[in-house]
Amino acid sequence: MKELQIIVCVKQVPDPEGPADAFSVDLEAKQVVSTGIAPFLNPFDENALEAALQIKDNHAAKITVVSMGEKLAQPVLRKVLAVGADDLVLLTDSQFKDIDSYSGAYVLLTAIKRIGPYDLILTGRQSSDWGFGITGLHIAEMLQIPAVSLARKVVIEDGSVIVQKASKNGLDVVKAPLPALVTVSNEVGELRYVASVLANRAAAKKPITILNAADLGLEQELKGREIFTLSVFHNEKKCRLIDGGSAEEKGRNLAVIMKEDGVI
Amino acid sequence: MEHAKVMILADKSESGLDPVTYELLQMGRKLASDLQGSLAAVIIGHGIGQAVEEVSQYADEVYSIDHARLASFSPELHASLLGQLCRKIAPAVMLIGATPENMDLAPRFAYQMGVQVVTDSVQFAVEPETGHLLCTKPVYGGRIISVFKLRERPYTATLRPKAVEPIDKPLSGKGQIIQFDPEIDESLAKIEVIEKIKEEGVDLNKAEVIVAGGRGVRNAEGVDHLRDLVKALRKYFGSVELGASRPLVDTHLVPSSLQIGLTGEKVSPQLYIAVAISGSLQHLTGMLGAKKIIAINNNPDAYIFKVSDYGVVGNFENVVPALKRKLEELHEGVADNSLRKTSSRPGRSG
Repeated sequence: MKELQIIVCVKQVPDPEGPADAFSVDLEAKQVVSTGIAPFLNPFDENALEAALQIKDNHAAKITVVSMGEKLAQPVLRKVLAVGADDLVLLTDSQFKDIDSYSGAYVLLTAIKRIGPYDLILTGRQSSDWGFGITGLHIAEMLQIPAVSLARKVVIEDGSVIVQKASKNGLDVVKAPLPALVTVSNEVGELRYVASVLANRAAAKKPITILNAADLGLEQELKGREIFTLSVFHNEKKCRLIDGGSAEEKGRNLAVIMKEDGVI
Repeated sequence: MEHAKVMILADKSESGLDPVTYELLQMGRKLASDLQGSLAAVIIGHGIGQAVEEVSQYADEVYSIDHARLASFSPELHASLLGQLCRKIAPAVMLIGATPENMDLAPRFAYQMGVQVVTDSVQFAVEPETGHLLCTKPVYGGRIISVFKLRERPYTATLRPKAVEPIDKPLSGKGQIIQFDPEIDESLAKIEVIEKIKEEGVDLNKAEVIVAGGRGVRNAEGVDHLRDLVKALRKYFGSVELGASRPLVDTHLVPSSLQIGLTGEKVSPQLYIAVAISGSLQHLTGMLGAKKIIAINNNPDAYIFKVSDYGVVGNFENVVPALKRKLEELHEGVADNSLRKTSSRPGRSG
């Protein structure tokens, strides 16, 4: 069988495992600011890359990762290549900052067309920052290829992609002819961890293509997000700390207070 | 200005209507009144007569798109039919429930209509000067609240389930029911459903109480402490379940189906007990809807305390077993008291 061409679209975000109070708002610029948080791959995009690697475990496949937005931090970039992506295409341009989902999909579309023939495009189901969950489905609409969302498992079989996807009552198993696009959910599994020196050394040698707006020859104007206001959600509550001479006593006191306050 | 229609997509479930439908009706009614327009609903499916009747008690108009081909959900066909209807009716607003199915449908619909869509909104308002729709959407795991402005009609957005109250007042009369004959383009349906699997399993969404463990629960013994606490709480509540943050799931001590957070379930129980959870954005996304939050953590600076109603600073391995025993004791005490009351009733004994 010929080599499957898989494209995985990823985006860098501030690490969502970071504490919530590290995020604040620049009101004037209508931007979210994060302080002291390491950059990370959007978790669902990591799942999408893992889904691609799972396919590559069983098929001859070439995985091209396309990243749009901020310049990828070195550790993020190395990780992507070390786990087994073959090619990395970085789309960076100040024009790509804070664009809306439609425009983001359009930029990725132009990059995908440039990369060449593809069998499968994978994206995360949504991002951990803005979380619209639109980009993948829009790319598929633009390319007029079938799209399956919220994948829990992705398998290639005889020119089709078979996907287990989340539904209201459980899961549906669906099938779509290739080429197709699939948005991936966390059930696919964590991105594998590759620590070997060899993998890292190989990663350092892999080709990285960097493209800006001019390289892509965009024909449509990019639109920014239509943000009216942004604010920090003050969900802070007055936390009643339970006293006690020992951890055990605090535990017992908590039970008593829960009862007194009608929590139980 | 022309008469504005606010349209909602009513969601049929196996047993009638999905609860989010009533929330859409409530929100739609409010927007219709703000726009001085009317409320319309559309239902797409097969054998939907009863659902249509039900919705017509709340909406001024109900469009029924009933066809054998629509018995099971196809995002491609359903999105295309919703587009057909909207091009004919030209509603000002199109509100859709943010269910897994519709997360697939809404972006396709918006693309077809050439409009933006704000997904997973929790509140809407009409900007008075312009009549544009303002959509409130929590982002960055709920830490930041964004308000997006939609300028192009139909203003299209999805509503997060349980974000607003359901509608309670039916219309005095009954809404008009309109059959809409769809043109079904089979070539659009490229995805074929091979199998539908119903999952029983734990439904964290329905739990009244969740005891969730985090990174600090390092071993099977720690998980046992949590399970014991779950059991003790079951004496007080009908449904108590175990949950977990992503780091605990990553240890494989608990199944990934228990994961709560951005990548996982989003829950809103009566009571949430966060054990050895620091309060990352990822986790908070999934649990901030809880009515009461109790945090147990040995780090007094953990962010989780800032969003909790009660906090215990201490090692969970000591706190949780003591809490569990005391809860059991208090429960037995209640049982004993009631026994005493019964037995001390006069005139009962021989």
